[in-house]
Amino acid sequence: MDALVGTYALNLLYQCALLALVALGLAIVFGQLGIMNMAHGEFLMLGAYAMVVVQRAGLPLWTGVLLAAVACALLGAVVERILIRPLVSRPFDTLLATWGLGILLRKSVEAGFGRGYQSIDHGWTGTLQVAGAPYPAYRLGLMAAIAIALGALAWWYRRSPAGARVQAMVSNPGLAEAMGLNTRRLALGAFVAGCVCAGVAGALLAPLVRIEPAMGMDWLLASFFVLVVGGLGSLGGLLAGAALIGGTQVAVASALDATAGSVAVLLLAILFLWRRPHGLVARP
Amino acid sequence: MAWWRGPDVWLPWCLLAAALVAVPVLGDDYLAYQLGLYLLYGLVTQGIALTWGRCGFLPLGQALFFGLGAYVSGAVLKGSEHQALWWAAWPLAVLGPAVLAWALARVLFARRFESGPFFSLITLALGMLGFQIASQWSSVTGGFNGLGGIPDLPGLDRYARLYWLIVGVVLLATAAWVALDRLPIGTLWRATAEQENRLQFFGFATDRLKALAFGLSGALGGLAGALYAPHQGLVTPPVMGFQLSAELVIWAAVGGRSSPYGALLGAVGIGWLSATLRQEFVYWEVIVALLFIAVVLRFPGGAVSLAAPLWRRLARRSASPQAVPAPTRPGPRDDEVLVFEGVRVVQQGVTILDALDLRVATRGVHGLIGPNGAGKTSTFNALTARLPLAAGRIRWCGEDLAGLTADAIARRGVGRKFQIPSIFPALTVAEHLRIATWAQRAHGMDLLRMRTQHWRTPLRDAVEAELPFLVEASGRPAGELSQGQRQMLELVLTLLPEPRLLLLDEPCAGLSTHETAQQLALIATAVARLQATALLIEHDFSAVERLATQVHVLHQGRLLASGTLAQLQADAAVQAVYAGGRK
Amino acid sequence: MQRRSFLTHSGALAAAAWAGNVAAQAQPAKVGVLIPQSGPAALFGPSSRACAELAAAEINGRGGVAGRPLQLVFGDAGLPPAEVSQSALRLWRGERCEAFVGMHDSAVRGALVGLFKGQVPYVYTPVYEGAECSPGTWVLGETPQQQLQPVLPWLAKERSLKRWYLIGNDYNWPRDSNAQAKKYIGTSGGSVVGEEYLPFTVDNFDASLAKIRQANADAVLITLVGGASVSFSRAFASFGLADKVTRLGTLIEENTVAGIGAQNTLNLYASAGYFASIDTPAARAFAARYAQKFGPQAPQLNALAQSCYDGLLLLEAMGNKARSLQVPALEKIAEGLRYSGPRGEATLQARHTRKDIFLARADGTALKVVQTFSGVDSGQVCKV
Repeated sequence: MDALVGTYALNLLYQCALLALVALGLAIVFGQLGIMNMAHGEFLMLGAYAMVVVQRAGLPLWTGVLLAAVACALLGAVVERILIRPLVSRPFDTLLATWGLGILLRKSVEAGFGRGYQSIDHGWTGTLQVAGAPYPAYRLGLMAAIAIALGALAWWYRRSPAGARVQAMVSNPGLAEAMGLNTRRLALGAFVAGCVCAGVAGALLAPLVRIEPAMGMDWLLASFFVLVVGGLGSLGGLLAGAALIGGTQVAVASALDATAGSVAVLLLAILFLWRRPHGLVARP
Repeated sequence: MAWWRGPDVWLPWCLLAAALVAVPVLGDDYLAYQLGLYLLYGLVTQGIALTWGRCGFLPLGQALFFGLGAYVSGAVLKGSEHQALWWAAWPLAVLGPAVLAWALARVLFARRFESGPFFSLITLALGMLGFQIASQWSSVTGGFNGLGGIPDLPGLDRYARLYWLIVGVVLLATAAWVALDRLPIGTLWRATAEQENRLQFFGFATDRLKALAFGLSGALGGLAGALYAPHQGLVTPPVMGFQLSAELVIWAAVGGRSSPYGALLGAVGIGWLSATLRQEFVYWEVIVALLFIAVVLRFPGGAVSLAAPLWRRLARRSASPQAVPAPTRPGPRDDEVLVFEGVRVVQQGVTILDALDLRVATRGVHGLIGPNGAGKTSTFNALTARLPLAAGRIRWCGEDLAGLTADAIARRGVGRKFQIPSIFPALTVAEHLRIATWAQRAHGMDLLRMRTQHWRTPLRDAVEAELPFLVEASGRPAGELSQGQRQMLELVLTLLPEPRLLLLDEPCAGLSTHETAQQLALIATAVARLQATALLIEHDFSAVERLATQVHVLHQGRLLASGTLAQLQADAAVQAVYAGGRK
Repeated sequence: MQRRSFLTHSGALAAAAWAGNVAAQAQPAKVGVLIPQSGPAALFGPSSRACAELAAAEINGRGGVAGRPLQLVFGDAGLPPAEVSQSALRLWRGERCEAFVGMHDSAVRGALVGLFKGQVPYVYTPVYEGAECSPGTWVLGETPQQQLQPVLPWLAKERSLKRWYLIGNDYNWPRDSNAQAKKYIGTSGGSVVGEEYLPFTVDNFDASLAKIRQANADAVLITLVGGASVSFSRAFASFGLADKVTRLGTLIEENTVAGIGAQNTLNLYASAGYFASIDTPAARAFAARYAQKFGPQAPQLNALAQSCYDGLLLLEAMGNKARSLQVPALEKIAEGLRYSGPRGEATLQARHTRKDIFLARADGTALKVVQTFSGVDSGQVCKV
């Protein structure tokens, strides 16, 4: 019985860590910059396909993570110039333009790789005994990596000068500009950072999920719900949202069935969107 | 002038009718059958055009209403094969989605004055919920395989006669769309999209306006779905799915989101083309995506906006219409007293108003002065439900204003003029004046009558005589006015509903000397004529001197002193506050 | 107006048919082939198309159907049923297709059956849940009875499987399959320790895997489809369950196994009517002809794609015997008709086929046949 509880606890932790990782990119882009990037899932998909490319070329897998970061950075920069910046004060239009971008990316990948599923083989297939039951080693490693990365990000945002600049720009762009901050470059940098986070998340998840051109949509919706429920604009909000959405899903799925789990998540998201659109953790 | 007059109204409709009739005559029934499906999608898209193009909020789950109508209609038709009584339930396929949409909008928009992207996300989530339910509730919806074997509507074979019913419905819906657009409610919808906050201050319950629009769009969706079931004979869960909802939005955007013809063009043009070209040309969807992005970036009006200059030329200039006297507003009452009792407002830890006690009991202009940060505009915000009270009460005419929304307060005779002119940039000056004339006079069915467009009041005539630019620029969008003209327009908008309490927040900000004099004269005459009470926030003492009988000084969220201007100028405490003495 | 146009059209058609009967002998017979080119099953598009084209080429080499060469017209069956209906209507009335071969899901099948109403022959080829008895429709696909009745007891005996966990997506095919499976599990002396149905959108199976472990299952019957099947098996293996617990799937083919990955396919079995690795002379020859026509980069052969080939073979056999592609003529000769192809011998019985079923085990990313079951009945009771 203990082993089961341990496994359930680990499943919960895994689900929350996964959601936090996936939603991080959108937390930067939507939470900080206020851009509803409907192509967020497609950036994740590109990251996963970067791993496929690297595997086909016979290179070691960590280069895939690098490739994902670079590719998404370049694409993000281009997208920011062409799509985001002209639409900076029209949130609906940004939503639609990025939706169109998502379709574009999906179709391009279909052209290049076909619609079939891809799989990534990696070395860490073993299991570790945790709380009396075997648990996949790769997942444990990933959870640890996510925790460290989020901690580092939180520290950077609070302590570093660049982080302070970004905070200034987000809370009062006009004043920040008046003080000599190049808000355009900061906005570009933040958007690119968000895309890179999405790409790297996709690359890291590639061994664990199915890889196909249409994989982005589910992750996009999950990310939005996490941010809406948790609260935009802070890391605490991201974690709170991941915990609540992940927890609800796992709890209801284990108690009833998986359908009830997804319905519960949808209802929770609707409730928050309606009653508390700013989420659990208010913007600092 | 009836709403259908003018070639720009009836000509497109006649062209549409001619085109739709020509298809089975020139082509064949099979072509008409194919077109029928996309006309149904076009009907739903027209609903999106109504809410998004006209009212300014974007529903991302419109397929929910379409699917609901389809499932109900399918179930009713299947049931009617055994039991004719089922027929009574067929209108539910239209009414159900309509009522659901209306209720959703009422609930979601209550107490809000903007419709941000969160509404879109909610509709998206609801659409997904609908899809899940449709897929899982197999006993009712048939689950994944759906409701099959749906019979034809009696006497309307789906490959032949049903097309004519669809054409009739589409033409009717288009006509209704255009009619509503030309009626007062259309102007109000467009104003909601532009500047909902301002519209609430006229006393219009914008949540009801938006709910009406959303309810109508739900009705259109449900109607389209109700016809879809007999047309296809099969209703499966994707009919409620996100894929369809997203495509509908894309069709609305590319075709033209502000026009029912654009919506039809998008659905039939892109939708039908996609179905055909998808087979032959694998990258068709990439092209549609690029087209879509281009529309969003460059042509927000969609394809029909390319033909817009042509229609504008056709629009007939209306001859001066018969003026219709508007209903009168109630005159002065005895109990028009404004009282602030111990009002306290705290925002983010900062106390903005601190136990403010203010009593305004006489008619005429009262000045409200004080250094920056004293809380003057916050007083107005607290009065008009834009700032929550931490403690204390505000009473107007003996009634506690706590818990009322901004529009409810406006309906109690409170009019507010904003410091920065808050107008509807895309609406013409004439439309602004009309909205102000309708404020608190037009109720219910008035908004659906063309007569209401021609309401006039004596005050409006007087104001137009005083400010000739209102007549000269009446056909131009208000966004083209200069700053000074906007200020004056805004003041006029505040005066026309003939409020009992006027809140004027720096009405002369940004005006030249000449314009300032005009503005002040207007205020003086109007307040005298209406026998209203006015609170005037001003930094220019000469203006205060000229207009105000009583002046109140605010300092750090409290009332410092009251009296005539001369009395206050002699008061040492007031002098210290202004001249920088000890705080 | 419509009646007039209908009458004129029908009149014209009748006249043309009567006048051009002899000339029509050499007219190509257009066959609409509906395969998924988009949507969740789109990965089977290229291989299905290739198999269909190979079939058409070979049939035409043998003289065509009822003396007429076949001409294939492809339609996308991966779209929602309404749109597929549109495509099918276009192929039927627009392109004048005289027969249809469909490789798609049941929702689309329902739509097409409602559209055709038995006026045009329609061969449905992929694995499905059974109970399709509409006139003018013939079904090649494996039914749950075929895939499980011989296979499940054999596997249970072979690997001593007693505690079965049933997991599938939530719609007709898995539910009907499991209903049948329970019978065979019972007769093989086993018991069902868990049964679960998941929506298509679920990608996280941790809860299910925990339940499998908790129930001490030693076998899992998988009726998941598409991406869910892949994700489930990967997660299954990553939790270390593959050593002790045997997996049997009824819709696991070469593409799915490729997606699952070589490291995760230990003790994974699949039951179907065709595998690329079948070792009979007919199957090997077919694979060789396929490789020759499409080269080394050919889309991977799998049961669903190959069913399109068989669908056209069936059409050829029926058309040749009836000397026509009209439904009434075909209905007369259909019952008991035999044909043979890469899958072996098949007999039409009550609109379904009695044929061979193969059990394969995954070996890396290949599926190797370990047992063949000949002449398995479809278990369907359509009145013909």
